[in-house]
Parts: sequence; structure tokens; C-alpha cells
Amino acid sequence: MIRAILAVLLLALPAAAQPRETLTIGITQYPATFHPNIESMAAKSYILGFVRRPLTLHGQDWHLACGICETLPTLENGLAVLETTPDGRPGIRVTWRIREGLRWGDGTPVTAEDLRFAWEAGRAFETGFGPAEFYRRAYEFLSSHPREATLRFDRVTFEYASAGDFQPLPAHLERAIWEADRRAYRSRTRYETDTTNPGLWNGPWRIAAVQPGAGVTLEPNPHWNGPAPAFRRIRVLTVENTPALEAQLLSGQIDMIAGELGLPLEQALALQRRAGERFRFHFQPGLIYEHIDLNLDNPILADRRVRQALILSADRAQIVSRLFDGRQPVAHSNVNPLDGVHDANVRQWPFDPARARALLEEAGWRQGPDGIRRNAAGERLVLDFMTTAGNRSREQVQQVLAAGWRQAGIEVRIRNEPPRVFFSETLSRRRYGGLAMFAWISSPESVPRSTLHSDEIPTPERNWSGQNYTGFRHPRMDELLERLPETLRREDRLPLWREVQAIYAEELPAIPLWFRADAHVWPLWLEGVRPTGHLNPSSLWAEEWRPRR
Amino acid sequence: MNARLRLGLACLALPAAAALAAPLLSALLGLDPAEPDLFNRFAPPSAANPLGTDDLGRDVLLRLAYGARVSLAVGLATALAATLIGTAIGLFAAWAGGVADAVLMRVADALLALPALPLLVILAGLDPAVVGLPRGEPIADMIRIVAILAAFGWVGVARLARAQALSTLARDHVRAARALGVSEARLVLRHVLPALSGPVSVATALAVAGAVLAESTLSFLGLGIAPPAPSWGNMLAGAQEAVFEAPQAALWPGLCIMLAVAGATLVADGLRRG
Amino acid sequence: MIGLIASRLAQIGLTLAALSFAAFLLIGLMPGDPIALAIAGDPRLSAEDAARLRALHGLDTPILQRYLAWAASVLSGEFGHSRLFARPVAELLWPALGSTLLLLGVAVLLSAAFGLLLGALAAARPGARALVDATAILAASAPTFWIGILLIILFAVLLGWLPAGGQSEAGGLDAVRFLVLPVATLAIAGLASWARHAASALTEALSSPWIVTARARGASLRRVLWGHALPNAAPPLVTLAALDAGALVGGALVTETVFARPGMGKLLYDAVMGSDLNLALVALLLIGAVTMAATLSADLALRAIDPRLRDAP
Repeated sequence: MIRAILAVLLLALPAAAQPRETLTIGITQYPATFHPNIESMAAKSYILGFVRRPLTLHGQDWHLACGICETLPTLENGLAVLETTPDGRPGIRVTWRIREGLRWGDGTPVTAEDLRFAWEAGRAFETGFGPAEFYRRAYEFLSSHPREATLRFDRVTFEYASAGDFQPLPAHLERAIWEADRRAYRSRTRYETDTTNPGLWNGPWRIAAVQPGAGVTLEPNPHWNGPAPAFRRIRVLTVENTPALEAQLLSGQIDMIAGELGLPLEQALALQRRAGERFRFHFQPGLIYEHIDLNLDNPILADRRVRQALILSADRAQIVSRLFDGRQPVAHSNVNPLDGVHDANVRQWPFDPARARALLEEAGWRQGPDGIRRNAAGERLVLDFMTTAGNRSREQVQQVLAAGWRQAGIEVRIRNEPPRVFFSETLSRRRYGGLAMFAWISSPESVPRSTLHSDEIPTPERNWSGQNYTGFRHPRMDELLERLPETLRREDRLPLWREVQAIYAEELPAIPLWFRADAHVWPLWLEGVRPTGHLNPSSLWAEEWRPRR
Repeated sequence: MNARLRLGLACLALPAAAALAAPLLSALLGLDPAEPDLFNRFAPPSAANPLGTDDLGRDVLLRLAYGARVSLAVGLATALAATLIGTAIGLFAAWAGGVADAVLMRVADALLALPALPLLVILAGLDPAVVGLPRGEPIADMIRIVAILAAFGWVGVARLARAQALSTLARDHVRAARALGVSEARLVLRHVLPALSGPVSVATALAVAGAVLAESTLSFLGLGIAPPAPSWGNMLAGAQEAVFEAPQAALWPGLCIMLAVAGATLVADGLRRG
Repeated sequence: MIGLIASRLAQIGLTLAALSFAAFLLIGLMPGDPIALAIAGDPRLSAEDAARLRALHGLDTPILQRYLAWAASVLSGEFGHSRLFARPVAELLWPALGSTLLLLGVAVLLSAAFGLLLGALAAARPGARALVDATAILAASAPTFWIGILLIILFAVLLGWLPAGGQSEAGGLDAVRFLVLPVATLAIAGLASWARHAASALTEALSSPWIVTARARGASLRRVLWGHALPNAAPPLVTLAALDAGALVGGALVTETVFARPGMGKLLYDAVMGSDLNLALVALLLIGAVTMAATLSADLALRAIDPRLRDAP
């Protein structure tokens, strides 16, 4: 028996160092699907970044740029033309031309037919693509050149040049399946049944192997005509448990942890303190906006002075510096400082407990015998405070905030729920009584209509869609949100954006906390990874990644 | 009282005393178990914090003591519920016999044969609001966990109770009492129930051990007692992420669980032999 | 014998049917259907999109009707599709089951072997009894996931000998490296009951009159222990193995979660957390069926070893 144990231990000796032809990346989520147009989730967009390229994307400078299109359409260059729709409304036609020489992994050229198929499938709502808004608006598809596609839209917004999620699907592989049974397409598509088919992929890599739930293996796409990728193999492994992910990094099973889906910031900071010399750390502040929604139907929170007292007695700067090593910028509104439309002069609420107390007194909340304030009717100042159970970072912040508010005479009762319940029921049906802490993810210069317009308050009549969970109603804000998308010139939009931020910071439908930073952990020998901080992941530029010589 | 029983009680006495003395300890250390101190995170053991502090600068010893309240309460309440249900069912099955006995014991067999933890995971994922419990309240969490653990825990008690009750019912003096016309209720209460105390107390002690372990496992999986209420299970789950930064944070709650479970197991052993 | 197997199989089938119905109801009543989640995650989904997707997923029919449809398709061998992994359920189940059975099999063998050794030690050397008991009680009292975390700290982080989790892609010897820590975790957890039961069964066997006689005739302790006492003590130990099947499966679930090892336990956990009704149900039923089949085969083995039971009903 002893001999058997020894044998086992000998087998356990560390594996030889891996050659630098392979890059192994750890992420914390496994994609629910590989189909580019069905469901959007971070793990999928990270992996698809290596193997597919969109028509247009936001670059590392947060500006819209071409992915596989040749030139970004503008009114000036004539690729976008204002026109009138057949039923007499203002419309626009936009033309994208696919880059020369782009091929699917089986050698078939990427053509306008692939875009036509994607458009047709998206228009046929039984196909089950997620958001149908784009396809509802794009009422006609035209193509006069094999690599050129023109869409006609019945609505004009300043984002007309962006193709969003609309991207080519390999018609030569997929169209027959879709035509045979449109309803079953979601499960019969080759993206699900034949994921390793090279013809599905048009990026620098293709998916060569799939281990469901555990990871995917990527190999170079021989027909890619862009800069040649430096790695022969990329493995993207999923480890949901972040301590296990960290341990795998330390034991060399994975080379890097992608910040887009990586370690919680605090854990990454701790890792940096312990193993800072073994890896390169990069903290990328991004678009993920952590905040606390305030239920404005709650009579206590309907009083703006109470909302302002809450933010005045929340020491956000201290929390960021102590818990997050100062890596996450404190938010003063819902617009990110890295966003071009951010207003640096927006009102900034400091930590000022004295002023918070004064505001609460003014609002009629007087100090009670147990330290908690009471109003004239003798009701205690008690609010429910919810967030996603199991998110350690949020739970920490929540407990620190609760302690701070108690000092100000406000009692918050912590009632957390699993994310599944919290997001799908409590938030989206506005069943939270007071405070709800969570994050929004958006894209650069994204108009916050769904979170701030009074038409977007979820109700049973609207099938609970809309994300104005606070119940915020502000006529001027509604007007601004309606005018913004239709204002085509950027200079004209900037004053509108300033006003949106000013109203937000003054009215405080939510308490802005901070913008989350992604923690990227790279091996010392890797260079060229450039995180963006927005929804387009760094993998979209992965052909620039190189081992250091 | 044999050595095992004494040792087991001693093991249980420590966390029990800590649980009872938690407010006292809090006053003594001048600390609040819920009050974060961001300037004092992951502090090493010192006079002010005998076991150091956790990720939010709260005293670990104090939180262990308050955690003992939750973990032991879950353990005892579950054991109590399982004992009451199990004894009642076991007794009834033995007394009624026939179809009722067969059906109850088949149900018990089925529950024993099923893998408990996967079922607990499914049950723990349920929405407490469906049965009218508030969500996210510590007390509701506890009731939910006790209920689902007891739903599985009664089986062991019931089988032991039934076996003992059957043998008691077959004894001469019970049969004689029956022949003399003693009422069935009196027969069961006066003659059968007292005889059950031995095996049932063993089963109860084992149920305490099982419940403390199960609570910690559910909390580790994020399905048990939710923070900020401390329980040994969720302290471990919380410490797990910082396991490299502050390993002692993962050490102490684990040791507490081990102590309490070993204590209850030893008590069961002692009772069985004594 | 055949009658017995038939009736036990019928019982297993009935249990599984009841289990599937109960679980279907429970999971179906869980808050957060996939569409509600999608709405919360994607601001661009409109009210019409939500209604359309709900109809597409068949979520607008009553739950009983959904159960019957589901049961009919499962009975016809069509396990359906996993929403979470977007793959046929069958494709996910078999590799996961294989991985879990491997983990369980090796762990059971190891814990049985070490448990028997410890038990024999306690039986043969009364002085060692207390030590063996203490080891067994401590091993049984430590939460499985805590053992796993401690092993990770020691062997993966401090010593760097073994991977902290995941599964090998190379296969062969490399796969063994990934198996060591999870197997050790499970084996330690299972060791305790083997040791304790082996100790008491062997002690009892050693004190039986005919073994005392054999000893008096000069047979060595070792010969008596392994040659006579062990076969005699086998029936209660096999019973133990059968009774432990459920607990072991639970241990495997936790172990797979700690070590991020794809297997049945992790699959089920992910499915429940991701409200993937179909996958969770099929996985639960499969786990239940395998556990009950293990119990049944242990029972049958028991009858084969122990002649006294062979003709019992």
C-alpha cells in the first residue's frame, strides 16, 4: 500500500514548463451558447472575440470603428444617406462594405449573402434571436456588390453607423438548417451541434475543441488574412470558483486570467501583494457602473433630502481606498469619466455626515432613543437594503455602508437574494422596498433611456420590460432622453448630456458608487493585450498578443 | 457516564459556552461583531483581537461566538424536529403495522436511498416567499434550513424507534397489559415510549452532528445562512476567497465545526455504550 | 432471487417517478425563469420580445402539462436540451457520469482499503484502538469542502505539487495528477465510517468462539484476521457500503465544486443555480438511479456472500 501511495505522489510531480506556443486563459463563466446572435453574455463575447469579428465595434479609445467593414459609414462620406421611408417617415440607408479577402475558416469568402441571411433570420422573430429592435427597424436589405450590404432603417439615430450585434452568419452552412425549421434553429444550428466546424468562424482563430462546461481550445484559422496570430493554440478554461482559479494560476495550469471575466478586484489586489513579481497586473476601469437604486415609491425615499442624506453619509472614497486600493473611480453620475460625453463639472457629493444630519432634521427625522431617527408620527427610519447574495465584494460594501448609515441614524436591514431571484423578480418587478445595489453595463455614449425614462418603469401591462426600477419620473429627463438619439451632431448632443448628468446628480434616483475596474493578470512573458473597459473584450485584438522574446 | 460521553459533552460545552457568552465577550472586548473596521482588516492575533480580524476588520473570535449561536441553534432545532417527527412515525408504524407500516418504511427506504445533498441543493434554491416566509431574513433562513434538514433527518430516528417499539410491543408484560384491557394510548405512552429513550437519544445526538455539517455545507454552497448573520458555514465560505491572504480565517470556523460535530458524535457513542 | 430483483426495481422506478414529479414542481416554482433573467440582463429586450421568447420556450403553458410532456419525452429516450450549455442533455451527462464514477470508484477503493487497515489495527492491537477511533471521528467530523480547501492550500499552493482543480485534457498519466486531491478529499471523508465499522466487526469476529479456538490451536493472528475474521465481517461492511452511497454522492458534489471538476455533482449544481430545469431534473434522476442501483447491487452481493440471507425474502 505504501508503495502505491509513492507511485501516486511521483506521478504528481509538476508537469514540464509549457512551450510558449500555447496560451492558457482562465475565465469564470462558460458560455450558454456559441451562436453569435442568441443571448448575450460576457463569456461568449470573450471567446467569440478570438474567432469572429463584428462589422463595427468600439475601439480601445471608446470610439466606434470598423471591425470587418472597410469604412465607417457617415453622412459625409455618403455611405449613410438620409431618406424618407415608403410610409413617409424620416429614414436612413446605411452601407457597410466587408473587408477584401475575409474568409470563413473553410475558405468560403464572407459575402453580403451572409449578412442577408443574418438579417432574414433576425427579421423572422420565431428564430428566437434576442433583442429584435434592430431588425424591426431595418426593414429592407439591398446588395449591389458581393461584399456590400445596405440596410434601410425607419428611424434615424446618431448611432446609425453601428451595426451592433448584426454580423455575418455563414449562409453556406446555416441557411438550409434555418429554412428547414425556423423554430428549431436555435438548437439545431451548427454553432451548437457542430461547434468545431471551421466554416463557422472568420476571426484569426477557430474553435478546434469544446469541453462543455470546462473550456474551449482555439487554433489558428488558416484563411485569416489579417496579422498572423502568434500562438499555435489558445485554451480558454472556465473555473467559476475564483479561489480555484487563482490556485490554478499560481500552480501554472493557466497562464493568465482575463480581466473581463476574472478575479474579484479585492482578490486580485491580494494576489498582487503576494505574487506581484510573478505576473503583470493591470487594473482597467470600465463601464460597469455600481450603484444603489432607490425605490422612489417608498415614501421615505420619495423625499429628495433623504436621498441626498444617504449619499452624504456614505463614505465612498474611503471604501474605494480601503477595499479596492483606490482602483475604482468613485462615480458622481451614471456616465463614465472615460466616456467622451462625461461632464467633469457634474455635482460631486462629498462625505459630509454633518450636512446629512442637517438634511434629515430638515426632512423631519429626529434622533430617537436607540440612535435611529423617527418622524413626527414616531415611525423609525428603517430601509431594506438588498443586493445579490454570494457576491462577496457587494456584501462587504453593504455592511460598511450599513454601519455608516447607522451613525447617521438610518437603520438599513440587509436582505439579500440569489442573483437569479434578485434580478428576475425583485428588481424587474420592483419588489424591493428600499435600496438595491447592483451594476449596469452599457456601451460608450449609450443613452440611458431604459433606466431613466418614465415610460420604462416596469409594469405587468408592459410584461415587466423596462429597467427604470427606481420609478424615476422627470419630464425634462424624458424630453432629453427622447431628443438625444435623434441629435445627429455630436456637438449638439454634448449640452444635452451635461443636463442629463446634472439632473441625475441632483435628483439622485440612485446612489452612484463607483465604476468597476477589471483585474487583468498576465504572465510576464506576454505583451500586447489591450483591455478596453467596455463591452468589446480585449480578445477582439488578440492577434496583437505576442510572447516577449 | 462513560469517558466518551464526558469527552463529547466537553467538546460541545466549549462552543455552547461561547454561544451563550457571546454578548459578554462582546462587552469584554469592547467590539461589535457587525461593525466593520476598514483600517484593521486581516489583522493578526493580538490582545485586542485574540484570533485576529476578518476581511472587514471584524473580530474573528467574536464572530465565531455569534456564529456558534446560529450553527448550534440550527443543529439542535433540526435534531429536535427530526426526533419528534421520527419518533412519532416510528412509533406509529410499529403500533399500526400492516399497510401503514409497509408504506411508511418504504418511504423511509426511498429517502435513505436517495442522495440527500443534491436534493438539498434543489430545496435550498427554492423561494421562501412561496410559503410566506420573508426572503433574506436570518430567522427565515434558519427555519428554511431546519425544515429541509429535518425532512431528511427523521428517517434514521424513525427506523431506530420502530425497531425498539416493535421489540417492546412483543414483550410479555406489554402483551399482558394489552390482554388486561389497558387502553392503546396508555399502553404506547406508558410502556413503549419510555423504552425508546435510549436509541432515540443516540439518534438525536447523531442528528445534531449531521445538521451542523449539513448547514456548513449548504452555507459553503451559498444556499445556507446568508451574511451578515455569521454562521460557521458562511464564515468558511467567506474566508474561502481570502484563503491565501488569511488562511487562519478558513482554519477557525472549520475547527469549530469539527469540534461540535465530533462532540455530538462522541455523545452518541457514549449513550450507545452507556 | 429474480422476484426480489423485480420488486426492488419496481420500487426504484416508483421512487424515481415520484422524485421527478416533486422536483419538476419544485424547480418549476423557483423564481427566475430564463426569460425573466434575459430581460434583466439585456436592456434592449422589449415587452413583445419577452412574450415571444416565453412562447418559444413553451413557458406559457401550465406546469402539469409541461411535466407530462417532459415525462413522455424522457420515457421515449429523448432527454432534451440543456438551456445552460445549449447542448443535448445526453451529451453532457455521460462524460460527467464517467468522471464522477471514476472519482467515486477510486475514492471508495482507497477509503475501504485504508479503513480496513485501520480497523484491523484497532481489532488486533487494543492499544491502538483509541487512536483509530479518534482519527475516525475527526475525519468524519470535518466538512468535506474544508478538507478540500486545506489540501489545496498544502499541495497546490504551498508545495505546488498538484493542480488545484479542473480536469486534464491530455488524459493518461496527466489525468491522474488532477484526480489525486479530489480523490484524497473524498477518501478522507469516507475513511472514518469504514475504519469504525471494520474495527467493531473485526473485533466481534475475533472474539467468536471458533476463532478463539483457531488461535488456541496456534493459527497466527494475521492468518486468523485476514483468513477468517475478515470474510466473517464482510456482510456488515458491504451493508455499510450500500448505505453510504447517498452520502458519497453528496461528498462528490461538494468535492467537484471545490476542485471545479466537471462531473455529475457540479453539473447538477450549475443547473440548479442557472435554473436549467431540464438538465437539473435529468441529472438528479440519473444520480438517484445510480445511487439506488448501487444500493441494490450491494444488497445482492450481500446475499451472495452470506448464505443465511440467500433464502430470506
